[in-house]
Parts: sequence; structure tokens; C-alpha cells
Amino acid sequence: MDVLNNFIGGTISLFSDPIGVLIFLGGVIGGMLFGAIPGVSMLTLAAILLPFTGHLSAEHGIMLFSVIYCTGVYGGAITAILFNIPGAPENAPTAFDGYPMTRKGQAGKAVGAAVMCSALGGTVSAVIMMVATAPIANWAIRAFGPPEIFALVFFGLAVASSVGAKSFWKGWLSVLVGLLISVVGLDPVGGIARWDFGMPYLLAGIHFIPMILGFFAVSEIFVQAEKKVIGSYEAPKISVDFPTLKELIAHKVAVVRSIFIGFFCGILPGIGATLAAFMGYNEAVRWSKNKEEFGKGKMEGVISSETANNAATGAAMIPLLALGLPGGALTAMMVGVFQMHDMQPGPLVFLLSPDLVWVVFAAMFFANLSILLIGWMETKTIINLLRIPFQFLAPLILCLATVGSYAVRGLVIDVIVMFIAGAVGFFLRRSGYSVAGIVLGLILGGIGEQTFAQAMQMLHFEWSGFIGRPIALALLIAGFAALVGSIYNAFFSKAR
Amino acid sequence: MRNLKLSDLVEAGLWIGIALFLYVYSFEFDRNIEIYKFGASAWPRALLLLVVVAALGQLYQTWKKGEADSGSMIGQASDDGAEDAAEEAEHNTLAWYLWTILLMAIPFAYMLVPDWIGAAMGLEKAGLHPIKMVCAIVLLVAYVFLVRGNHLGGMLALPILFAAFLQDYGFYAMAPLFIVGVMFLMGERRISRMLIVAAIVYAFLLGMFLSLLYVGLPTGNISPFYEFGTGMVNLLQ
Repeated sequence: MDVLNNFIGGTISLFSDPIGVLIFLGGVIGGMLFGAIPGVSMLTLAAILLPFTGHLSAEHGIMLFSVIYCTGVYGGAITAILFNIPGAPENAPTAFDGYPMTRKGQAGKAVGAAVMCSALGGTVSAVIMMVATAPIANWAIRAFGPPEIFALVFFGLAVASSVGAKSFWKGWLSVLVGLLISVVGLDPVGGIARWDFGMPYLLAGIHFIPMILGFFAVSEIFVQAEKKVIGSYEAPKISVDFPTLKELIAHKVAVVRSIFIGFFCGILPGIGATLAAFMGYNEAVRWSKNKEEFGKGKMEGVISSETANNAATGAAMIPLLALGLPGGALTAMMVGVFQMHDMQPGPLVFLLSPDLVWVVFAAMFFANLSILLIGWMETKTIINLLRIPFQFLAPLILCLATVGSYAVRGLVIDVIVMFIAGAVGFFLRRSGYSVAGIVLGLILGGIGEQTFAQAMQMLHFEWSGFIGRPIALALLIAGFAALVGSIYNAFFSKAR
Repeated sequence: MRNLKLSDLVEAGLWIGIALFLYVYSFEFDRNIEIYKFGASAWPRALLLLVVVAALGQLYQTWKKGEADSGSMIGQASDDGAEDAAEEAEHNTLAWYLWTILLMAIPFAYMLVPDWIGAAMGLEKAGLHPIKMVCAIVLLVAYVFLVRGNHLGGMLALPILFAAFLQDYGFYAMAPLFIVGVMFLMGERRISRMLIVAAIVYAFLLGMFLSLLYVGLPTGNISPFYEFGTGMVNLLQ
């Protein structure tokens, strides 16, 4: 009952304060818009707003960022579905089936499914967050050390490596390319420069935003450009037919599964919504009887990915608020907001500022619900972007990608790297490699190496140390089993 | 050699070559770290070994089973059409690849050649500007000459060329040309449409990023492009 009373108290505080309501609405709409504009993301908006939060109260500042987080994760799905441009890494798996659905003339259904499932995943996650922050945080933080997180990354890569590639080996080569790119720069333990070839730019590592924009958005423009050049381009059909309730109910198992996966991945620091989305998608494929339909425009793919990434948003607040550990870029910025108000996120926040915590929880709950309402209205208009002929849309997307990659660090070389990644991505796609695999490897590579190094130090460089950690061992065995199964399939299954 | 084609061998060779190249360069950072006995090179070298294993695995699978997909692959149709389009347009011949490599070398030539000339002549940075402009004009003429008959190659090279020009000539001066260039390469020939769309896209970008979001874009550093860029920033911000 305490939870309910606190929630009602938080809701009343939120909506009885006109400035709070304005900030809430601004965050909801801003997050969605920035998520949906190719080339910028909710992180861009958050970075722009960060200096100004000093003028807001701590309550309003944190609430604004948590609302942007919820709606921004959903917003990125729109461009992933319409243009194969994920607004953020966590929307990448949404594009696997969302974009083919658009090409088949089912953009409305795909976006509608994303709206429903983002709202559902996020709202359920917000409820679990309210009820279970303390016990879950206590368990996960104690049970999940570096060996477990490394094992989870390994498992994630093992099961998701085949997404989008023509063969098992090409899937792994794609992931390895991403992992190798993530090696460039300083090593995570000793700070030794690796593969910098004497270039100061490479010392800081290759940033993942230009890579994602290049491999997804730019390479897609090149693929469509080729079709334009040879005259085989077909404009996607426009439809605003939303999925029926019956269609959505038919995927209830996928929704529940993705909520669990998303929530669990969201709790773990540094893993967050991205692995949640990839694993949500991949588990949907693994459990499906019609695996071959995935990637060709199956609604379950969109549902699984979008439910999981939004379910991770509520969970990501748990380590942030309970322990002061940010799980990703946006939650790290929230730490900045706390610090601007001379506060430190952590267990003391619950004791010293319970009002703040419950206003934030209530705001996240209502932000996820508002995705439903505003999402429906926005969808009806935004799908009409597809009516613009592609030769007019392409320069706009390329320019937005230019601005997006330049804005990250203010470096022109990031733009050059993005376009080179686009050209490389184009050639790799033609040869059956997976750009999604590359991006997955790139994002998880850094976490993987760092947690591996920490794990080995913890275990005194004894591999047998993993045996004494049942969760890590189970994840490693499951990952190896997935690998062995795929290798067996690659060599011994009958060619189709 | 029952199912293997030359391209499969080249592909595997390319991966193994890249792995060997990076392995050789890994000795540059093969140093001990006191608190971490694997050092800085163990992780990247393990990845390189896996690249070689995966490249050989791919080769063996193709040799055994041909080009057929392996049974459990998912999501591959999200890339549907990329391979078919290449075959249909004969964009996979050796001649096309060489032609495209030549086109894509143009931006890299711009990034390197003026600096080489400047170094040979002992010029300071500002003294390089006239050389850069002459190089840009020569390379643009070469691009226009080479792009005829290979619009896809031109499309792959144009964004990199645009990015290479950004530092010197700025986003504000280059964006309209880039927008028109992309439309032309994608088959648009109606000049009035191209001008209208370029104006709308340019106005949208400037209004959105410069006026509303205060996102700084490259202004360039060669006169008169620099003056044009800063003038736009002063006018709109």
C-alpha cells in the first residue's frame, strides 16, 4: 500500500504544479521528436538541455530527463521503421523487420505496433520499478559482478551474431569487425594506444554514433541509389492501417518475454536498452516456429525489440537511483543533473528526497502512457514523409546524418568516417554480411573487454573461477551451446 | 574446388590479409600491464584469430555446400535486393570495381595531395589555401569526367568528397551543391525541382540546427568560404 500511496502522492505533486506539467509535456514531445528526426537523438536534446537544468529545481530537472529517456527510446523506432535509420542503437533491431514491413506497405502496422509495445513495455517496467526497486537492486548488484556481465555479453553475442547475415560465418565476421573497431583507441586497463597508426583522432577510439549512422542510414541510401540508377527502385506503399487489437493480443507471449528480458538487461549497468532490444528480438526468433519469416517484415520482430528497449528504461533507473550507477549515456547525464544540484544519486536519495523519487516514478509512468496518445497522433502525420520521392529525401537524410555525426564531438573527420562506413557497409551488405552485427559488436566490444579484464583480475586469472559463479557459468554454457548448434547447422544441415 | 569461385577465395584472402596486417601492427602495443597479465594485445589478437577461423569456416562451408544459406540465419532479407541489384546492373565486374575505386580515391587525394605539395614546397598552413583550391577544382573536374557512366560509384564517392571539403569550404557553402549532386546522381533531371528542393532542405537544416538548436556546423577556413559561413552563422544565430 505504501507504493500506491507514494505513487498517488507523486502524481498529485506532478500535476498540481503548472511548471512541472509544462516541463513534463515538453519532455514527452521533445523526446519523441528528437528520437524521430534522423541524425539527432534524445541524447542530442539531453546534451543541449543539460546546462539549462541548473535553472530548474532538482525535481524538475531529473523528471525532464527521465521523461525524455522514455519517449526518446520510442521515437527512434519511427525512423528505424520508415527509413531503416535507427534513432539510437537500441532501435537497431526494430529496423530488421520494421523496415521490410514499410517496403511491403505495412508502415502503419509497424509503427502502430511500436507505439503500443513501447507504451506497454515502458509502463509495465515503470510499475515494476516502483514496486521492486529495492529488492531487485539488492539482488542484481550482488549477483552480477564483472564475470556475470562478461558472460551475459558473450551470450548476447553468441545468440545475436547471426542476425542479418547470409551465413553463420558471415554473421560472426560481421560481429568481429565491430569488436575489432571497438579495440581502436586506448586499452581499458593500461591505457595503451592500440591501432592508432600515429593518428591522434584514433587515440580516442572510433565513436559509435558515426558508425551507426554510416552502417545503417548511409549504406541504405546507397542500396536504394543503386536501385534508382538501374531503375528497379519501388517506392514503399503508404498505409496508415494500424494493427488490430487481435493482432497484438496474438503476440502476447512475445510481449511478456520481452518485458522480462528488457527489464533484466536494463538493471545491469552498462548493458541497458541496446542489448535488451537485441536479445528481445533474438529470443523471439529462437522461440518462433517460423524463423525464416523474421527479417522479411514480421510484426513480432518489431514488437519484441520495442517492448524490450522500453522495458529497459524503467529498469535503468534502479541502479541509478539505488546505487548511483548510470547504465548508459542518458542516465550518466542524469548524474550530471543531480550533481548540478549538489546531490549524489544513490541509496540516500530515497531517504533524503523521497518526493523527488516518486515524482520521477510517476512522471515515467505517465510518459510511457502518453506515448500511446501522442504516438497515435504523430504516426498519422509522420508516415506521410514516405510520400516524398526518394531522390529528394536522400540528400536530406545524408545532410541530417552529417549534422548528427559532426555534432557528437565537433569533428569533420567523424563525418568522413561515417561516409566511409556507409560505403564499406554497402559493399558488405552486397556480400551477405550484416551491418547490425557490426554495430552490435562495436557497442558490446568495449563492455566485453573491460568486464573480461575485471573478471580475470577478480578470479586471479584462473579460468576455473567461472565454475564457482553459477550465473556466469550458466550464461557461458548457454552461449557455447548456441555457438555449437549454429556451427553444426552451418556444416551439417541440408542446404535449402 | 567443387563449389568455390574465385571471388570466394579473394574474400577469404582479404579477411586473412586484414587479420595478418593488424596482427603485425599489434606488436606496436604488445606491452605488459603490471596488474593485467594478458596485456593490451591478448584481446585483439584473440579476435584476429577468430577472424581467420571464421574466414576459413566460410570458405569450407561454401566449398562443401555452395552459396546456399545456412539453415538458421535470420533477418537476412532486411538487406534484400542489395545483391540482386548488383548482379542486374553488372555492378560486380572487375572493371566496375576499379572504376569505383578510382572515383572513391578522389576525396582521399584531396585530403593528402595538397599537404604533400605544401610539405615539398615548405609552405605554412595559410600558404596551402591556393594549392587546396586548385586541387579541389582539378579533382572536381576529374570526378565529373569519371562519374559519367558510373553513377553508383559517383554516389559512393560524393558524400566522402563532400565531407573532405567540409573543413576547408564549410557546410554552408557546400551543402547546396551536395544536395543538388545527390539528386542528379539519383536520376533527377528537372532543374527547377532540384533548385526548389535544395532551397527547402537547406532552409530546413539552417533553421533547425542553426537558429533553433544552436548546433555549430563547420564554417570552413578558406576565404571567401569562411566569410560566407561565419556570415550565415551571424545572420541566423
